[in-house]
Amino acid sequence: MKKYLLVWWKMSSMSLMAQVSHPLGSIGFLLGKIVRVVFFFAFIIAIFRHVKSLAGYSLEETALFFLTFNIVDISAQILFRGIYNARRAVTEGDFDFYLIQPCSALFRLSLTTFDFLDALTLLPVLWMTLDILDRLSVSLFSLRAFLYLLLTLNAVAIASSFHIFVAGLAVRTQELENTIWIYRDIMFMGRFPSEVYGPMFQLFLTFVIPIAVMTTFPVRAFLGLLSWKWMGYSFSLSTILMGASFWFWKSSVRQYTSSSS
Amino acid sequence: MNAISVNSLQKEYQVFNRKPGLWGSLGSVFWREWNKVKAVDSISFQIGEGELVGFLGANGAGKTTTLKILSGLLTPTSGQVEVLGFKPWRREREFQKRISLVMGQRTQLWWEIPAQETFRLNQAVYGLSDKQYQESLGELVEMLELKDYLAVPVKKLSLGQRMRAELAAALLHRPKILLLDEPTLGLDVVMQKKVREFILEYNKKWRASILLTSHNMDDLTALCPRVLILEKGKLIYDGNLESLIRRYAENKIIKIVFEGDVSASKIAALGGTFDSQKTTMLVSVPRADVSKKAAFLLSSFPVADLTIEEPSVDEIVRKIFSKT
Amino acid sequence: MKKYWRAYLISLQETLQRRSSLVMDRLGGIAVMLSLYYFWKTLLLGRTSFLGYSYSQMLTYVLGMNILRSFALTGRGWELVGEISSGKISSYLVRPLSYHGYALALDLSQKTVHLFAAFFEIGALLIFFHPPFYWPKSILSLFLFAGALLTASLLFFFLEFIVSSLAFWTSESGGPLFFFELFIQFAAGAFFPLDVLPRFLQKVLSLSPFPYLVFLPINIYLGRVGEGRAFQDLLISFVWTAVFGATSVYVWRKGLLSYSAEGG
Repeated sequence: MKKYLLVWWKMSSMSLMAQVSHPLGSIGFLLGKIVRVVFFFAFIIAIFRHVKSLAGYSLEETALFFLTFNIVDISAQILFRGIYNARRAVTEGDFDFYLIQPCSALFRLSLTTFDFLDALTLLPVLWMTLDILDRLSVSLFSLRAFLYLLLTLNAVAIASSFHIFVAGLAVRTQELENTIWIYRDIMFMGRFPSEVYGPMFQLFLTFVIPIAVMTTFPVRAFLGLLSWKWMGYSFSLSTILMGASFWFWKSSVRQYTSSSS
Repeated sequence: MNAISVNSLQKEYQVFNRKPGLWGSLGSVFWREWNKVKAVDSISFQIGEGELVGFLGANGAGKTTTLKILSGLLTPTSGQVEVLGFKPWRREREFQKRISLVMGQRTQLWWEIPAQETFRLNQAVYGLSDKQYQESLGELVEMLELKDYLAVPVKKLSLGQRMRAELAAALLHRPKILLLDEPTLGLDVVMQKKVREFILEYNKKWRASILLTSHNMDDLTALCPRVLILEKGKLIYDGNLESLIRRYAENKIIKIVFEGDVSASKIAALGGTFDSQKTTMLVSVPRADVSKKAAFLLSSFPVADLTIEEPSVDEIVRKIFSKT
Repeated sequence: MKKYWRAYLISLQETLQRRSSLVMDRLGGIAVMLSLYYFWKTLLLGRTSFLGYSYSQMLTYVLGMNILRSFALTGRGWELVGEISSGKISSYLVRPLSYHGYALALDLSQKTVHLFAAFFEIGALLIFFHPPFYWPKSILSLFLFAGALLTASLLFFFLEFIVSSLAFWTSESGGPLFFFELFIQFAAGAFFPLDVLPRFLQKVLSLSPFPYLVFLPINIYLGRVGEGRAFQDLLISFVWTAVFGATSVYVWRKGLLSYSAEGG
C-alpha cells in the first residue's frame, strides 16, 4: 500500500516536472478547462435572467446540479487521466513495461499523467459548491449533507468503473481510441438535472447509462427528494459496476498477453 | 536447476487481411478475414545460471516473441516455460523483481525530464531501499559512464547516452535474468562496443543469465559462447558459436574498392562478384586464407579500400536451413 | 488538381476504415445534441417563443448545431500539430504539392463523412420522433444557407490552421489548440444561440469572425435574417475567410522558415 503511495507521488511529481517544462501548453489547457466551467456557468445565469425555473428547480439548485457534475467529472479525470493516453501507451510499448514491472499495470496506466491542473480547477468548484449548499439553508453537518457526500463519492466510483472499462478496451482492441471521448460527450448530459430529459429518457439515464445516478441523485438527496430505495440502488449499482469493470480489465490483459506478438 | 527452461513452446496468433482499395475498406467495415500465424513452433532449450546466450535469426523469426514470453508479457499457446522456477505469464511480483527486459527500440525513460527521475521511479516500483538504490545506482553510473548525463532531460541525450541510461534504469534492481532485444540497434560502432563490454561486466559480476537477440553477428561473436538460431519459429541450431561459424561460415568476405580501372580478365580470375557500379567487389575466402589473400590483393591491384567482413546472418541462416 | 482528389479519396478510405472511432464520434455528438434538445424543450415548456425564436425555430437551431458542428467545427488541427511536432511535415514539403491544398483535401474528406452521418442522424430523428422541425420558407434562404455553410467550413479551416501552426514555434501548441476549440464552441453559438448572452457581449462577438461559423448560418436557414441582410452577412464572412486565409498562408510560410525539423 505504502509502495503505491510512493509510486503515485513520484509519478505525479514527474508529471508536474514535465508540465512545467512547457508552460505555454499548460496554460492553454488550464484556460480551456476554466473556459468550459465558467462559460457554462455564465450560460445558466444568463438563461435564468429570462426564466424563473428549469424543470421546477431554481437557479441555485440548477447551479448545484452543474457543480456536482463538475466535481464528479474532475475527480474522475484526476484519477484516470492516463486512460486518455491508454492507446498510445499500448502502441508505443509503455504498457509492456507496466506489465513487466512489479506494480499494477492499471495503476500505472491511469495515474502516469496525473495533472495538477485538474486539481487546480477542482478547488474553486468545491468552494462554489459549498457556497451554494450553504445558500440552500441546509446545514453542512446534517444527514442530507452527508448523503450528498456519499452519493458524490459513489458517483466517482461509477465514473471510475467506466474508465477502467475503457482501459480494458484500449488494451484489448487497439482500435477504440475514441471510446473515452464518447464518455465525455455522454457525460455532457449530466450537466442538467435529469428531469429535463422527460420520463422515458430519465429511465434510460438511471438504468442504462446511469448518469442520473451520478449527478442528479446526490443533489436530490441533499434537497431531501431521494428515497432510500434509490440510494440503495445507487450503492449496489456502483459495487456491481466496479466489480464488472475490474473483471473486464483482467480479461483484457489476458487477451492482450495471449493474442499479440 | 536451470535458470530458464523451455519445452515444446508454441505461440500462435491471428492476423486479419484487408483487401486493397476503397471498396475493400468499405467491405472491411462489415466483415473481416483472419489468418493464423505460428510465431514460435515447438522450441525447447535450457539455460543455466550465469550463461550468456545469443538468439539469432532474421526478422519475424520469433526471437522477440520468445523473449516476450520469457518475460511474462505473452502467454504461450502451449508448452512449458519456467524461469527461475516461476511461470512467467503469471507475472508474480517476486518473479518480476528478478528479471528485466530491455527493448532496443523502446524506452521506459520519461522523455521530458532527467533520467535520474525515472531511476527514482523504478526505485519505488521495485521497492528498493535508499541504501540498495544508492549502491546499485553508483555502480551502474560508473560502469556506464553516466555521471554527466543524469540531470539532463532524456530528450536532449544522444542515442548512445539514452541507451546507457536505459540499461541503468533496467538494472537498478539487479535482476538475475536479463533479456535484451536488439540492444545495439542503431548505435554507432564505438557505442556498440561499450554496450557489449557492459553486458559482459554485468554478467561476470552478478552471474546473471543473459539472453540477447540480435541480427548483428558482431554482437554475438563478442558476447555469446552459445547461440540459438530461430528460423520461421523453429529452433534450427542450439550450440557453440565457434563451431557454428566454423561449420557454416567457413568463409569470410573481403570487400575491395578499386582505384581506377582494372583489367577484366584479372578480376574474373579472382572469382569475385561486382556490385552494380562496378567499383566494389566481394570475394568469398576461406577463413584460413584471408590474410594471405588480402595481402595478395593489396600488392597486385590498385586498391582504394579493403575491408574484411563476416558473412551476414541471413546467409548463415539460409545455409543452415537449407542443410536441415 | 488530380493529386488533391487522390488525397481526398485516400483520406476518405482511411476515415471509413476506422469504423469504430467514427461511430464513437457520432454517438458522442448525438448525446450532446440530445441533451441540448431536451434542455431547450423543457425550458420552452408553456411558451411559444423565446428571445425571438419560435418553438420550432429554437429546436431546429439545436438540431442544426449538429450539422454545423460536423461541417464547420471539425478539423484536423490535432493531426496537424502532431505532424509538425514530429517532423513528418518535412516529407510533404519535398513533394510538389501545396500543403494547404493537401490539408484542405484531407479536411474535406473528413467533413464529407461527418456531414453524411449528421444528415443521416437528423433524418432518423425526424422519422422516428417527429420533432417540430422548421422548414425554410424560400429556396433562396436555402441557397444562402449552403453558401454560409461552405464559407464557415473554410473559415474554420483557416482559423484552426493558424492555431495549429503555433507548433512551428513551440512544442506546446496543444494547449492553445485545446483552448481555441473550447472557446470557439461558445463564441460561435455552437452550444446555445448567442441571443442568450447580454447585449454588450453579443455586440462584441458580432465584431469577431466567430458567429459566422455556426450562429449566422443557422439563423439564415431559420429565416430570422432578412435576405438582404443575409447577403451582407455572407459577404462579411467571405471577407473574414479571405483575411484568415491570407494570414494562414503567411503564418505557414513564416513557420516553415523557422522550422527546425525535430525527431530522430
